[in-house]
Amino acid sequence: MSATNDTVHDRFERARTELSPVQAAAAVALAASLGFALLFVQDPLFHDAMHNFRHAAGVTCH
Amino acid sequence: MFAEYLTSGVKAGVVAGLVFGLFVAVAANPLVAYADEVNHGVETTHDHAVESGHGDAGHHESAVSATVTDAVSVLSGWLWAVLLGGVVFGAGYYFLEPAIPGTGATKSYVLAFAGFVTVSGAPWLVLPPVAPGAEQSLSVDARLPLYAGMMVAGALTCLLSGYAYDRLSATRGVLPAAAAAAVPFGLLALAPVVAPTNAVHGALPAALGAGLTGLFVFGQLLLWVLLAAAHARFAPATTDARSVAATGPDAVGAD
Repeated sequence: MSATNDTVHDRFERARTELSPVQAAAAVALAASLGFALLFVQDPLFHDAMHNFRHAAGVTCH
Repeated sequence: MFAEYLTSGVKAGVVAGLVFGLFVAVAANPLVAYADEVNHGVETTHDHAVESGHGDAGHHESAVSATVTDAVSVLSGWLWAVLLGGVVFGAGYYFLEPAIPGTGATKSYVLAFAGFVTVSGAPWLVLPPVAPGAEQSLSVDARLPLYAGMMVAGALTCLLSGYAYDRLSATRGVLPAAAAAAVPFGLLALAPVVAPTNAVHGALPAALGAGLTGLFVFGQLLLWVLLAAAHARFAPATTDARSVAATGPDAVGAD
């Protein structure tokens, strides 16, 4: 690969040509849903099952 | 190219997640269960003082069994690392690589430091990890936006610090640049002064609580070091001109 893109701005330009808006939205939605499920979902079934992990990650909700 | 970067980030997450999942399995699971039991014992004693003959109360207040909690927590620990790997070392590294100080593996470790500050370090300044069963004076509704706000503050601090370093290292040299890069972190450290205080009241012995908190801080630090080390191995050959000039074309893609 040639040393062409060496600024952050170039990377964003490159991403715009490389990824369709739908792909970008899907990636953001996937990451957000995983993060939300792991850390913030308050449903007792999910929340309690991840109790030990959340302590290990230093995020506590009770 | 984006797919290549995302793949190496997720790979780093998968590898680091195996170790972090193991950490949850062998350290966090038994210790949190024990701490909950100690808390429960204290509560039961109180109950007996108020109304005698209370009998054997439910062993666990949780909505699910201990086995399910253990298994889901280990899986969550692994997913946590995969998420951080994909978001920070995949997408984050793709966009920010040209601006991250250093060359080669150093970039991975600098990004790991920024990631730790953003995800855990900055929020912990205001809301430190608490021992199991501790009562907190701020409600969950107040703490969630506070945690999220401190994540944003941490991310801005790291971006500002990196920007200052890049600008000054080119013109003034490395030492003044490093000094300038430290200034945003100094400002971030003032956050606990203005943030609302969260009084923590725990039933656990203080030493046990402190030990658990320390262990969980250590666990997150370990996770980020593992992510960086794995990412340094899996990172795609750089296309960043500065790194290519600094390491020479032979060094690029040698791994």
